[in-house]
Amino acid sequence: MQVKGQASAADKMEVNQAKQEHLLALKVMRLTKPTLFTNMPVTCEDRDLPGDLFVRLMKDDPSTVKGAETLILGEMLTLPQNFGNIFLGETFSSYISVHNDSNQVVKDILVKADLQTSSQRLNLSASNSAVSELKPECCIDDVIHHEVKEIGTHILVCAVSYTTQTGEKLYFRKFFKFQVLKPLDVKTKFYNAETDEVFLEAQIQNITTSPMFMEKVSLEPSLMYNVTELNSVSSSSESESTFGRMSYLQPLDTRQYLYCLKPKPEFAEKAGVIKGVTVIGKLDIVWKTNLGERGRLQTSQLQRMAPGYGDVRLSLELIPDTVSLEEPFDITCKITNCSERTMDLVLEMCNTRSVHWCGVSGRQLGKLTPNASLSIPLKLLSSVQGLQSISGLRLTDTFLKRTYEYDDIAQVCVVCPYTSPES
Amino acid sequence: MDSSEAPAPRPVTLAIDGAAETLEASVPPQTDPTEDSFREESIDLDAEAFVSPQDDSSHFESLKDKLNDQMMESVMISDSPNSEEEDVAPIDSLLEQNEEEEAKTTDGDTEERNEDVSTASAAEPEEASEALFKEESEEEKIVQVDDKRENVAPDDPKPEAPKTQEPALEIDTDMPPKDEAVPVCTIFNQGVLPKAQALIPDGFQPTLVKSPSFTIGNTETPNKLVPQVCQPSPSLSKFFTESSAVNPASDFFDSFTTSTSFISISNPNAESPKAAAPPESPLLSAATAAETVPTSTYFTPVATKPQVSPVEPMSQLQTVFPSGDDPFGSALITSDLDKRYDAWLPSDDTRKVLISVATQQISPVQIDREQLAMPGLKFDNLQGDAVKDLMQRFLGDQAAMKRQVLSANSVEQNFLGLKRLISTKNWRAAVDLTGRLLTAHGQGYGKSGQPTNHTTDSLQLWFVRLALLVKLSLFQNAELEFEPFGNLDHPNLYYEYYPTVYPGRRGSMVPFSMRVLHAELPQYLQKPQETLDRLHRIKSVCQKILSNLQEGLAEDGSMMNLTQDNRLASIQLWRSRLSRVMYSMANCLLMMKDYVLAVETYHSIIEYEPEQRVQLLSGIGRIFLQVRAETPGVTGSDVKTLPRPPKTARSNTAFVYLSQNNYADAHTCFSSVLKLDPKNPVANNNAAVCLLYLGRLKESLGQLESLVHKDPALYLHESVLFNLTTMYELESSRSTQKKQALLEATACREGDSFNVQCLKLV
Repeated sequence: MQVKGQASAADKMEVNQAKQEHLLALKVMRLTKPTLFTNMPVTCEDRDLPGDLFVRLMKDDPSTVKGAETLILGEMLTLPQNFGNIFLGETFSSYISVHNDSNQVVKDILVKADLQTSSQRLNLSASNSAVSELKPECCIDDVIHHEVKEIGTHILVCAVSYTTQTGEKLYFRKFFKFQVLKPLDVKTKFYNAETDEVFLEAQIQNITTSPMFMEKVSLEPSLMYNVTELNSVSSSSESESTFGRMSYLQPLDTRQYLYCLKPKPEFAEKAGVIKGVTVIGKLDIVWKTNLGERGRLQTSQLQRMAPGYGDVRLSLELIPDTVSLEEPFDITCKITNCSERTMDLVLEMCNTRSVHWCGVSGRQLGKLTPNASLSIPLKLLSSVQGLQSISGLRLTDTFLKRTYEYDDIAQVCVVCPYTSPES
Repeated sequence: MDSSEAPAPRPVTLAIDGAAETLEASVPPQTDPTEDSFREESIDLDAEAFVSPQDDSSHFESLKDKLNDQMMESVMISDSPNSEEEDVAPIDSLLEQNEEEEAKTTDGDTEERNEDVSTASAAEPEEASEALFKEESEEEKIVQVDDKRENVAPDDPKPEAPKTQEPALEIDTDMPPKDEAVPVCTIFNQGVLPKAQALIPDGFQPTLVKSPSFTIGNTETPNKLVPQVCQPSPSLSKFFTESSAVNPASDFFDSFTTSTSFISISNPNAESPKAAAPPESPLLSAATAAETVPTSTYFTPVATKPQVSPVEPMSQLQTVFPSGDDPFGSALITSDLDKRYDAWLPSDDTRKVLISVATQQISPVQIDREQLAMPGLKFDNLQGDAVKDLMQRFLGDQAAMKRQVLSANSVEQNFLGLKRLISTKNWRAAVDLTGRLLTAHGQGYGKSGQPTNHTTDSLQLWFVRLALLVKLSLFQNAELEFEPFGNLDHPNLYYEYYPTVYPGRRGSMVPFSMRVLHAELPQYLQKPQETLDRLHRIKSVCQKILSNLQEGLAEDGSMMNLTQDNRLASIQLWRSRLSRVMYSMANCLLMMKDYVLAVETYHSIIEYEPEQRVQLLSGIGRIFLQVRAETPGVTGSDVKTLPRPPKTARSNTAFVYLSQNNYADAHTCFSSVLKLDPKNPVANNNAAVCLLYLGRLKESLGQLESLVHKDPALYLHESVLFNLTTMYELESSRSTQKKQALLEATACREGDSFNVQCLKLV
């Protein structure tokens, strides 16, 4: 093209030289994991027309598994046949080969591989020193690795500079562009328990096109919390994952992980302090795909809006899960002053249709300074069977003449301890 | 840098981008070819980075509503824990004016992209499917830019000079905001787009490396035109790599499967008109002559008996085949062997028809044609030798002349000839020959849907033909020809239907292997579920027959006394058939990537094939390595500790190393296998592959190359050749010559069924 001539004439050496054949050739290949060759068994029986021909053909085929030719998954490794996809958190590996195509010795070869992302430029070459000479038909090889940390367009920029026998300095570059895609979709949800516990539900979806083995999905809690993973069922001796023995995720499959977070005692004491937005921790995800190709991602810090408790928080420290019908049982309430002022509290207990409180209602609890809390044991009984809601506690701050109502604090299961003679 | 010339392109690119934007807004992007190519040309940096966070969240809102009743919070994922924050690297000395131009085009480009991201991303994946990167050469980019200038410059009213400083400026102002966003990628809040992509079957597949260079563009266009049928990749396993939702296993010989071209409508131009349409043989009776098929010469040598009855032509044809038993003679000896092998349980409807034929309530003539299998060839000539074609193209006619392979003409026109073609791997010629033999039988081209009689031999011919089509990866063709056979349960596919020809003989004419083949076929055409359905049907029949045998009945459940030897032999046969079906199921499940069921099924085969225990367990281990399931009991490493031949153990250890990215130790292991078994092709090939990953291309290449030359019988295999040609491509720009040398090597050894794709010459 003529235009090309014009442009290069206007330019410096490099473009000028680009017109002529370079003595060196640069080749780049992405090294994904090799794959296992699969063959296609077509068999027949001895009495069929081909006799043992098909069997013999399969036995002679070097890619079949000897002794079990019908097994399609062979042992022969094949090199990657296309660029494939690359996902955030995976390692990008590439073979860079500079070959002397000419018949003369080339000197002072410098190969440089840079990766340009949308935000930065990284040097990936193993060494930055020049190779003093390269004979004809010889190669300079380099295998580069880079853990991909950004999505979007990446450009591998390979630059080669060298000196010919005549002392001419030459230089050329090549660009290789690829897109880094997102491998996983993560959604989270928090549940606040009656106690200080927080449950985190994390849905992780594989949005790649190949199955993923989830090697590790763990929650790294922030300073304030301890975490328990609730993703395995422990039987007598060993614990088994809730996802089964082979924990891999098919494309577009979603899996739900559950974690329980408990504030550490020192933070729990100051329960009033856990207010507003708090940092819970982050998810750490490690997966593997074809032949152990590994990827790792972390979420950003997960944040949760702590439930608002108003001025006075009433939580339960102790409550039985199952009680007997019409038999008194004990609960322990913890009352925390979450406000900025001192309170003088009076506790009233109102019976509901099913719940009957024992003891004196309207008793003085005394003064409660900000962030202080006190525990009160209470006794009550239920007159109705089934799952009953505990309601009817009233706290009145005599300073402000303000009443706080606490209904549906918790549930207990009420059962009849006697078996009726009829049944 | 020439000051008068160099600044010029920059402002112009800016102007073009502006123009591009307005253009894009009104006109669909594809309409303007120059614009299109221009966009491909430019290096655009991260389109997504420019998508504003609000956009994302609103995307997500709507998605949330759709997907979840309970609202889930979207989460930001920061990159891997060991990421370091780095400052934006300054555009270093390497990035000179060219790159600045690219950066500029980028800006315009991304803006366009925001408007139609979906089209852009949908279009991209069509390209670049090769492992080797295609490069974007700078020279061509310059050409592009200059082209642009010439085209658009007149429309550009902006003064050029004042703008010369802008590129640098813009890059500076552009970077900082992006910089802040670096360490944490906000990738998880834009759910909609990526998901949509994932749902498009090949949305992800080829992706990534754009190849803008026009030279390469040419070769790529055909792929774009027929993406479904033609897949350029060779026949290598993809089951564990990026799943190609499009015909993964299809078309290793895609150049031949571009279906219509090989389904020749009529036979006139067929390769050997003389042989295919001979003058009618005078020896054949009026009955055969009535059939419109040009009845063949193949039968003349044997068809010497005078014709007797109307039923005869068929039986007469049968006598032609060397293995064909004389129907009248064999009628008296219903051998146990036949009974054992032919046993099958027809469906209830078919059974009723067969009973009424046997009891002479109706004659076969009265049976509704709908219920009968009336096959015929759907295409009749797929002669062709891809190796020879390639030789003609690359090495010239002279060299191509040297290529000698057997064709359908050069062998005996009977089963012996057929076997010769098969064993010399001339499967295309063999398919042709089956076509001729079937034509002679009255089931030739266009005969589908016409009443016909089946014989043991005609069905064997069909089986061989269809099996070879599958072996040649001509799946569509096989499916087409299988179609008239339905479920292989038509009454006329049973011996009972022909009481005069096969008196006393019972059971299925369809060989068991043909049923398996019939079941396996759909999985290669993206219908694995159909394959599983069919396999389960076969499996249940096998189990029923086995239980009949165990209960002291005959295979078909009738009260017949079998001798003990007979019974044991029959049980053994049906157990092996059952295990064959299970193998097919496991293989199909593996292709579907349902690893749990696949592993279970492979495990259950051990019970039937105890002598294959080691191979099966190793295979299961390899499946586990694919998915990396480290649970105690059945891991890859666990399998390797089983007592077994040291060779297998070492090679299994090597695979475990491989999965740990430890190519050095994997190489050592494969090499140690070679000490025990120096000729082991798998270990040799695998050791060479490991060397490549260790950055030792020349050694790896040398090893493979010497093997191929020393022992072509073992190493002229498509997987090895594929590896070798890939390395040639990586090694030097002169790979074509070396590939041609391989072509010559294969030409003198391989038959016409050789998969030339692995040579990557085209």
